Amino acid sequence: MPPLWLVLVSLIPFGLVATPIGYVALRTVTAGSSGILRDLIRPYTLNLLVNTLTLSASVTLCAGVIATAAAWCTERCDLPGRRWWRLATALPLAMPAYVSSYAWSSLGPAFQEMRGAILILTFYCVPLIYLPVSAALRSLDTNFEDVARSLGHGRWRSFVRVVLPQIAPALSGSALLVAAHMLAEFGALSFLRVETFTTAIFDQYTAEFNNNAAALLSGVLMLICLPVAFGEAALRSRRRFARISRGSARLITPVALGKLMPLVVLGFVALTVLGFGVPMVTLSFWVWQGTSAGQGIGRVLPALFASLGYALPGAVLTTLLAVPLVMATTHFRGRLATLSDRLPYLVHGLPGIVVALAAVSVSIQYLPAIYQSTTLVMLVYAVLYLPLAQSAVRASAELVPRELGDVARSLGKSPFKAFLLATLPNLAPGIGAALALVALQLMRELTATLLLAPAGVVTLATEFWSYTSDRAYGAAAPFAAALVLISGVPVYIFTIRTLRVADEL
Amino acid sequence: MLILNRRNFLRAGSAFGGAALLGGTASRLHAASETLTLYNGQHRATTEALVAAFSKATGIEVTVRNAESPELSAQIAEEGANSPADLFFSEQSPPIAALQEKGLLGKVDEATLKTIPAKFSAKDGSWIGATVRTRVITYNTKMISPADLPKSIMDFATPALKGKFAYVKQDGFQEQIMAIAHIKGRDAALAWLKGLKEYGRSYNGNRIASTAVLNGEIAMALSNNYYWYSLAREKGEANLDAALYSFPGDDAGNIFNVSAAGVLKSSKKQAAAQRFLAFMVSKPGQDAMVDTTAEYPVLDGVMSPFKLPSLETFKAPVTPADMGSAAEAYALEREAGLI
Repeated sequence: MPPLWLVLVSLIPFGLVATPIGYVALRTVTAGSSGILRDLIRPYTLNLLVNTLTLSASVTLCAGVIATAAAWCTERCDLPGRRWWRLATALPLAMPAYVSSYAWSSLGPAFQEMRGAILILTFYCVPLIYLPVSAALRSLDTNFEDVARSLGHGRWRSFVRVVLPQIAPALSGSALLVAAHMLAEFGALSFLRVETFTTAIFDQYTAEFNNNAAALLSGVLMLICLPVAFGEAALRSRRRFARISRGSARLITPVALGKLMPLVVLGFVALTVLGFGVPMVTLSFWVWQGTSAGQGIGRVLPALFASLGYALPGAVLTTLLAVPLVMATTHFRGRLATLSDRLPYLVHGLPGIVVALAAVSVSIQYLPAIYQSTTLVMLVYAVLYLPLAQSAVRASAELVPRELGDVARSLGKSPFKAFLLATLPNLAPGIGAALALVALQLMRELTATLLLAPAGVVTLATEFWSYTSDRAYGAAAPFAAALVLISGVPVYIFTIRTLRVADEL
Repeated sequence: MLILNRRNFLRAGSAFGGAALLGGTASRLHAASETLTLYNGQHRATTEALVAAFSKATGIEVTVRNAESPELSAQIAEEGANSPADLFFSEQSPPIAALQEKGLLGKVDEATLKTIPAKFSAKDGSWIGATVRTRVITYNTKMISPADLPKSIMDFATPALKGKFAYVKQDGFQEQIMAIAHIKGRDAALAWLKGLKEYGRSYNGNRIASTAVLNGEIAMALSNNYYWYSLAREKGEANLDAALYSFPGDDAGNIFNVSAAGVLKSSKKQAAAQRFLAFMVSKPGQDAMVDTTAEYPVLDGVMSPFKLPSLETFKAPVTPADMGSAAEAYALEREAGLI
């Protein structure tokens, strides 16, 4: 049983996340069943279902394979300059998906539609899987591998039978994030001419002004997300990864790449160029070609500070709320704990507009005092991005033995003090990674910021949106560039922190 | 140099957090003084110019919230009677017509409505047109010569144009469907949509489709006129391989639509909000707006600095008011399997 304080604290994020779910459910019910159900079961909607699943599954699979291969190369092989390749592989994280997809789609129809979307979003998602997997690879006990090899298994076979199961939690956790993220992706897809449930939900709001029908589609989206979220939990539920000691200390002999070396290096170069280089070139092209270049340049700095002013406290709050959820599931078990740990992933699969409108509806009725205040924006940010913080914190939490807390308790500390003194310090690398990752995403957030922030608040993302919707690409580019540059900081911190999780064992 | 270790990072974060929370409260207190709140979906530059001119003329301050019109419409619908907004300025008429249908709009003053032609406003006077835009064909001048351009909107549903044109299922598209249904009948409109689905390429936004034409990715796009002008302004007209085209005569494809504004019924500042609308359709208000965007003024005698062709060929049989929130257009799109 988890201690009382943990249960109480976990109720806060649980309640927050349950709000949009309740809103969608209520709206679906008021929508009435018959007419809307008829609207739902049509060839067009089935086509959406196929597209949504194809996109989500393909991107997750492709990114998973590429990321695992890349992680193995940078952690286990004699690749020269591994330090730099690690950062280079993480770099596409700094590029917002809507910028890179715009850049790619402008290259021509070959990079559009489903094929293009899978390609572009795969590059975008690789770092999200690469970092946790390489952290896991780094912390592996290589003794198991040695045993496998001594039993006559080849390198490939021992990888599949020994290494893969050990990195599975990191891989499946991050793959889940990617899958949920793809369900909700909107901005990038609109440039790529792909229609999914999410783009259809936007159409329901934007074209038909039908909040109820949109809620119904959101409900379907959550149903799709359900097996993804809970399946991953089932996969990890029986494992335990915490260890007190690291086994015998020794240097890992890197695998010689030999003749494959040029190919591997080429692969890394391609990954960096495709994921980061191409969009960067497009941005510079805008400035060079656009007559609006230089307009609003004086607003870049204030917008940058506003972005930080929203993203940093948002990240702190989100991470604070994620910690109890993670602790309740990694150190204690129970149905309620699992449920509250999984719910945020369901909501992560919902488009931002649905969550924002749920906040509008609930706040204006029950909490008018905080409507369109910074406080409300922060709460909505937390609802949107909790899973990112959860997965980063969990990477640390799973490596902390529960017994640490028990020892502190046996020394007469209260449960909360025991957590504070014994467990929390060990979560530090994960918390650092969570703060960076959430801050990174919050700086790009658009819908909730536009609808819910106090009027007149201008961030890098809202300025970029505002200028591009006026086709003033030259004026928009500096805001995008500033966004990419400032994103470099959390990407760097996230990379270092994630890999540190492994080192601090 | 700033050292970004964990402690500094956290400290900076919590300082920002505190400041932001305080800032939030302060700005709410400030908003309580006599200022209008405008939810704006029209191009930001256009509204900024209008608001600046209005505040200068009347001394009334306006707080503007910018977002996409349909999102703001959905937001106002959720807010209901408690909406903090006094005014809504929509980039197209359907988002504001949706609020009209939900009974959330008050009436625009009679005197204000009478300033401009009735065809630009709602029949019940719940919203008023601000600027006019036309529905046109954007084409790539290197891919198709003006002589080969289709003579009617109906030609797009024929195999001859297979793979040659882009269409966008929003922002003006529903008006197009309604106009065809109105002139040629419902069956013709349905057949037209099915043809579009078969022979055209669907894009997710007008801006994206215009850019695709410009890049030579596709020869033509059904779009609104001002997209071309803003691209021309950005890249220079001489560098643009794209031009605009309207059908000859009074074809069903030659229609106009409006950006429009209205007062929310729940607003407690009705008098000031009405003044804003009156100013918007007055000469200074119209001048301020048409200087920033290639849209036609609704008031006679106002000149746009853009080289806009005459509205004469646009003898639209369907006005934005007939459109409403275009429910019939969506029914047709469903039937054609487009949505």
